[in-house]
Amino acid sequence: MSKKNVAVSLILAGTVLLSACGSNNDTSSSPATPESAAPTESTAGMKLEILSGNVGGKTPEGNTKFAQAISDKTGLDVTLDKPASDYDQKVLTALSSGAKYDLIEVSDLAKLDAFFNQGVVTDLTDFVQSSKVLSDPAVIPTGEWDQLKGPDGKIYGVFSKFQGATMPIVRKDWLNKLNLQEPKTLDELYTILKAFKEEDPDGNGQADTYGLSTSGLYDIQGIMSSAGLKYRYVMEDGKRTIPYATDAAIPMYEWFAKLVKEGIMDPNFITNDTAKMRNLFLTDRVGMVTYWDAWVGMFNNLKKQEDANTAFQAAGMVSLEAADGTIIMRRGDPDFWIIPANAPHPEAAKKFLEFWNTEDGIILGSLGVQDLDYIVDSNGYSLTETGKEANMDHGVPYWYNSTVKPLFPALPGVEEAMALSKQYATLELSLSTWPDAEKIVTNYALKAMAGQMPAKDAVEQMQKELKAANLID
Amino acid sequence: MRMIKKNSIFYVMMFPVIIYFALFAYYPLVKGLQTSFQDYKLMGERPYIGFDNYNQVLHDPSFWDALWNTLYIGGGILIFGFIAPLILALSLNEVMKSWFKKTAQLVLYVPHLLSWVVIGGIFIFLLSPDSGLVNLLLIKIFGIQPINFMAEETWARMIMIGSAVWKDMGYNCILFLAGIAGISPTLYEAARMDEATRWQQVHYVTLPQLMNTMKVILLLNTLGIFRIFDQIFVMRNPAIASKVDVLMVYTFQKGIMEIRIGPAAAASFFVVLFTLLLTSVVRKMTRFDEV
Repeated sequence: MSKKNVAVSLILAGTVLLSACGSNNDTSSSPATPESAAPTESTAGMKLEILSGNVGGKTPEGNTKFAQAISDKTGLDVTLDKPASDYDQKVLTALSSGAKYDLIEVSDLAKLDAFFNQGVVTDLTDFVQSSKVLSDPAVIPTGEWDQLKGPDGKIYGVFSKFQGATMPIVRKDWLNKLNLQEPKTLDELYTILKAFKEEDPDGNGQADTYGLSTSGLYDIQGIMSSAGLKYRYVMEDGKRTIPYATDAAIPMYEWFAKLVKEGIMDPNFITNDTAKMRNLFLTDRVGMVTYWDAWVGMFNNLKKQEDANTAFQAAGMVSLEAADGTIIMRRGDPDFWIIPANAPHPEAAKKFLEFWNTEDGIILGSLGVQDLDYIVDSNGYSLTETGKEANMDHGVPYWYNSTVKPLFPALPGVEEAMALSKQYATLELSLSTWPDAEKIVTNYALKAMAGQMPAKDAVEQMQKELKAANLID
Repeated sequence: MRMIKKNSIFYVMMFPVIIYFALFAYYPLVKGLQTSFQDYKLMGERPYIGFDNYNQVLHDPSFWDALWNTLYIGGGILIFGFIAPLILALSLNEVMKSWFKKTAQLVLYVPHLLSWVVIGGIFIFLLSPDSGLVNLLLIKIFGIQPINFMAEETWARMIMIGSAVWKDMGYNCILFLAGIAGISPTLYEAARMDEATRWQQVHYVTLPQLMNTMKVILLLNTLGIFRIFDQIFVMRNPAIASKVDVLMVYTFQKGIMEIRIGPAAAASFFVVLFTLLLTSVVRKMTRFDEV
């Protein structure tokens, strides 16, 4: 046997040996069921390790103080790990390497589904139902828990905040200036967007404005609503359908292609990220974008901080109504906490979950840390400069608990926008095959919208590829 | 044994490096290989399933699309990323003014220092259909309609190849210039005595003497073909994804986005295998061992 062959044999043998020795975690792959649902033992001084993407301070120092504030209020010894970027990768690396956290923040229902299948999540049904705080419908409306149920009907997460919806946000001051009304139909919307493009709504004497900008296919939901089309999957008679890939979507894509051709739509809509889209809106370059309801208030507030006398006025708008009267708005996936199956201190985690939904927890999650983000004196609460920069968002800009009232007035326009969300917005159906289907749908939809291919051909191609890959029935 | 004892201090000095590579290169590699044969779950049992993950990957049309994209874009970068800096190095070598040569090298090298996040952002901005410099020039000079370079499939791969070549041109150029600087001046002197023209000096002296440097650069660039990731991740968008998504993006999507660790590990081992194969072919073709 040559030296090379000996070396190859040794490597293979070593690999097999290492494979055989590979540690298999003894934990069952099905979601863990704790023996005791409610926190029974004393948790004082118990450690609590949290991995969060949104909840926490805005700087490393602020984060340390935030963790200390949780410790002070709960009596737990809290460590808060909040990565500056690449949160999903950090979560995955932590879980696959066996790192132990008591709580992990998740913002994606598809992830909950994947974590359920991978044996990561703990069943919290008994805990939620027996918890005085969490089982109170005034704290979290009973129906909302359905969002956090696994395929087996059990609850695997606890909400970290109230998640709103995305909606068309329009420059109300431009509408007023051009004597236009909020659009109800596709034709009215076209007229308005064209006016935003051609009638110099910012008054700088230059044709430098666009009617509409988007940063992803989900952003056009408010307009696709006029054809009764919902994004992602819709189950019809037990069959998987994707409305954006049906013939009903053809005239809609043609409508967008017309906007692009006439220069009404921002031509960078394919390469835009949300930050670019927001900047266009804030710098008077575009009259309508689609974004979160909470951002209606933030847009107005940011412009007010820049110039107290600004004419800028953003307003949330309801989606266009379909012929049968349906209005479709897109509710965002909830932000929630999970207790991993390997959590070393699940009782401490449960104590935190209850605290997080009480007034103290909500004030911490919204305003931040006392004496850092806000101060309390004889005049009541007031924000510090650090607190103002944080925009009353330390992971909980809005919450479910109806017994806790906001300490500051809502930002301008946000209450009206949220009222629309609550009335019309519904969750999208995210099946495990959606990531593969999304690639096909977005690819052809964007080409049709950009006018790179006829809408009819684009939809035909979508259907062909989705069926071939067994992504629709 | 006596030699080992004699050089024992050097062996001790090698330990940190060996430990580093064992921990951060070979252990993850072996662990990844193990994962590729498992029904890998983040928690719980991870049973061995033979070649199922490899089978899944091989039957996924997206994998073959990604492989073709990798070969197209990687091949383009390999060819043009070799020729362009070579021409540049030969041209700069002809420049007599030392200050100009040094300044040109510095300017050309700067893009190599910048991350793809910066370079990608610059390209997206430059190629923007409404405010990008390229379109403004095209409209001004040729009076044509703006082209949405970053959203049209016809341009997508060319832009990826062009931007990658541009970014690393200065770095490879400096390697070539270092090789040229090492050529004995007596060879040029002899060529001049034989009345060789500048072009003949390049053809008969510079290029043959630069052969070893060229082999090293070609091999190093070949090793990188299947590892392209940052650039595509930053510059891709849904409209061009089917033409630019490469194998590493496929692996990322399977592993991180879809949390299918087993198939992702299998796909990454195909990357290792393809790299080994391609490198062996290039070594053979260039007779690298004769360097």
